[in-house]
Amino acid sequence: MSDKSQDKNSKKNVIIFAIILSIVCSLLITGAASGLKSLQQENMRLDKKINILKAANLIKNNQKPPKDVILKLYNDHIQEVFVDNTGKTIDKEISDALHLYFYKTDNKINGYILPINTRGLWGKIQGYLAFKNDGQTVSGFSVFSHAETPGLGGEIENAWFQKNFKGKKILNSQNKFVSVGIAKGKVKNLPKKIQDHYVDGISGATLTGQYLSEGIKSTLAKYEPVSISFRQKKLKAMDIHQNKE
Amino acid sequence: MLNDSSRYKEILVKGIWTENPVAYQVLGICSALAVTVKMSTAIVMSLALTLVTAFSSMIISSMRKKIPSNIRIIAELAVIASLVIVTDEILKAFFYDISKQLSIFVGLIITNCIVLGRAEAFALANNPVDSFVDGIANGLGYSLILIAVAFLRELLGTGQFFGFSVIPNCIYDIGYQNMGLMVLAPGAFFIIGLLVWLKNSLSGISHEKR
Repeated sequence: MSDKSQDKNSKKNVIIFAIILSIVCSLLITGAASGLKSLQQENMRLDKKINILKAANLIKNNQKPPKDVILKLYNDHIQEVFVDNTGKTIDKEISDALHLYFYKTDNKINGYILPINTRGLWGKIQGYLAFKNDGQTVSGFSVFSHAETPGLGGEIENAWFQKNFKGKKILNSQNKFVSVGIAKGKVKNLPKKIQDHYVDGISGATLTGQYLSEGIKSTLAKYEPVSISFRQKKLKAMDIHQNKE
Repeated sequence: MLNDSSRYKEILVKGIWTENPVAYQVLGICSALAVTVKMSTAIVMSLALTLVTAFSSMIISSMRKKIPSNIRIIAELAVIASLVIVTDEILKAFFYDISKQLSIFVGLIITNCIVLGRAEAFALANNPVDSFVDGIANGLGYSLILIAVAFLRELLGTGQFFGFSVIPNCIYDIGYQNMGLMVLAPGAFFIIGLLVWLKNSLSGISHEKR
């Protein structure tokens, strides 16, 4: 027994064991990662589509319809577009083009969906913020990827938090851009005139709220040309249609 | 020599109750703070940890005669980490929704002291089947405390049970308020402390008496 344990601990055996274990473990991980990659990416793409549809209120927050229903809804109603900084849709991606989605029914644009990509407390928060075609009323919000603390900041992925965005305005009564943010605490405790620009905060997740508010504000500021076009009713369905042809 | 079933029973009782990983060994406290705000997250975490502990103990135990003792901790960690990453990849590919729910917990499992603790304390000295049972037992012991803490925190902190409000409005009308402290990490400290006290006075075993 002592011979055997001596043998097990000899330098040669330590090195051989370490090498074999490393190789087996890395093969296992690489195999799993690359073998399953295409399935994972498909899941991710589908999840993005689900969240775009959620932001546009085309599917309910707690529902998960079958895949073909999702794809059909997406193909029927969502169009990925690029817009230049004057608020016009353009054919293809140029360096500073704004990337967003239109929510359309037949040839009418019902609203638009902006990708939100901001830092959170522990990592990136990625989601979608949808607007009505008046260019100022939020119609929905969804999150598809985040690394916030479950139960605290992680609540941003839940329906109770997201549904509060519905109906909020990004313009104040003087029609000036003020964005929409996450309150510290409950909205009902805020002064009446700014209640339209805030949603209920999450207790224990002040920082997540703060980063998300900042991220939404800077994204909205960047996309203001698009929103302005919608407010002035310049963007009509025909514009995209002609561009496509 | 005990026969198989009574030996398994002994291992199970030890892991779940007498030497409960959280209440007696005081392991896995960090995750017990992080994921116990709500019942649903606590249950998902419990399940994941139980399975990982069981399988990593089994794998490590089956290699125990080959692992050189001076690099055993690294070898154990390599096995645990690989197992967790592969599980994560499989979840992402086939159970995307569950994997999204687990999110950060998967990483937390690797760093959970219970997994390494059981590998060190049990799997290295016992056969694979016993080690598997021991992993299950300790996972269940962890789950027991985690779910108890989550139940109390969710109930006292938000007045909910699995996300449904259970405290009737009339009690709020009298003046009852949710305890904000319970939503935050210190709330979990208090509850875990009280549970450790309760457990040790019930079973009559404590570190002091030994």
